[in-house]
Amino acid sequence: MNVLPCSINTLKGLYDISGVEVGQHFYWQIGGFQVHAQVLITSWFVIAILLGSATIAVRNPQTIPTDGQNFFEYVLEFIRDLSKTQIGEGYGPWVPFIGTMFLFIFVSNWSGALLPWKIIQLPHGELAAPTNDINTTVALALPTSVAYFYAGLTKKGLGYFGKYIQPTPILLPINILEDFTKPLSLSFRLFGNILADELVVVVLVSLVPSVVPIPVMFLGLFTSGIQALIFATLAAAYIGESMEGHH
Amino acid sequence: MKNVTDSFVSLGHWPSAGSFGFNTDILATNPINLSVVLGVLIFFGKGVLSDLLDNRKQRILSTIRNSEELREGAIEKLEKAKARLRKAKMEADEFRVNGYSEIEREKRNLINSTYQNLERLENSKNETIQFEQQRAINQVRQRVFQQALQGALATLNSCLNNELHLRTIRANIGMLGAMKEIND
Repeated sequence: MNVLPCSINTLKGLYDISGVEVGQHFYWQIGGFQVHAQVLITSWFVIAILLGSATIAVRNPQTIPTDGQNFFEYVLEFIRDLSKTQIGEGYGPWVPFIGTMFLFIFVSNWSGALLPWKIIQLPHGELAAPTNDINTTVALALPTSVAYFYAGLTKKGLGYFGKYIQPTPILLPINILEDFTKPLSLSFRLFGNILADELVVVVLVSLVPSVVPIPVMFLGLFTSGIQALIFATLAAAYIGESMEGHH
Repeated sequence: MKNVTDSFVSLGHWPSAGSFGFNTDILATNPINLSVVLGVLIFFGKGVLSDLLDNRKQRILSTIRNSEELREGAIEKLEKAKARLRKAKMEADEFRVNGYSEIEREKRNLINSTYQNLERLENSKNETIQFEQQRAINQVRQRVFQQALQGALATLNSCLNNELHLRTIRANIGMLGAMKEIND
């Protein structure tokens, strides 16, 4: 019985050093909805970074690109290559969509991993990457789903639904199920990876505040980039898959 | 035991819940690790990124230079081709003019020679006609002469007797006498 209070005291001491919050949100009431304000705030920040840097980069375009323009053109080239390899012919109109997904997710993830959000204190919950909230990832995955339906329908008309009974009609339920699991897997993969990543860092920080979390933070950076890449690649692959003809 | 659960329950109660502000707890906000991570990232990332961007810039520059050279070459070729075209056009004009005059001359020559030929033919035709006419006239004349002679011979043969002979001689002598008187 003597040990327990002692451990409780240690716990309290640890808790005083830092705390791990999960499922705590700072709510705003907008209309009839309760929104997660911390996600909105960080999303706005990410959007501001993206829009601002893009605006600065394209403000004075040169034939021979200078630093900022060069970097952004490099990024654009990268995204275009990605869409080209995944979608193939007719990838042009999808570059903005894939690019938006990739850049938003990438900057969100890295902002969560690199910026000291916790310095700003909210009445409830805490600031973190927008992508560690399931609502954000679902909001990114659903348009992807809509996009590949749209791509398939505009390319093939109603014949697009013919892919449900290919190669055999027996697979019809599985094929229909697949269309529902795609956005599900997209959103859960991103959400799970980013949340787990941030949780690992937070837990490690709460145990050993300095030096030890650094490798994990690097791992987090790597994971964040990879997750953004995976999301964009998969979105492009789904769009390409629904656009390519089996005949 | 109740104590323990109480204290665990109290863990779910966050003291930070309140209002906006700044968390000044250095260990909780983790700025040291973040700055280390950022520093390492910038230190290594900068080199890689600037290498990448430099490569890209060089590639763009070389592409531009190449296309510039290609453009210059193309312009040069175009100029050459234009000059050649101009020359060819001039030659063609010359040829055309020459050809026209040549043709004109040939035409005139041809017309002349044909005309001459025609004239010659006309002449020879006329000559032939004249000749034929002459021949016909001669034939007619011969025939008429022959017939006249035959007639005369026949008349002579039928009418020539002594009396007529004498009368003729007499008449001739008279004529000769008259001539002699005139001469005297």
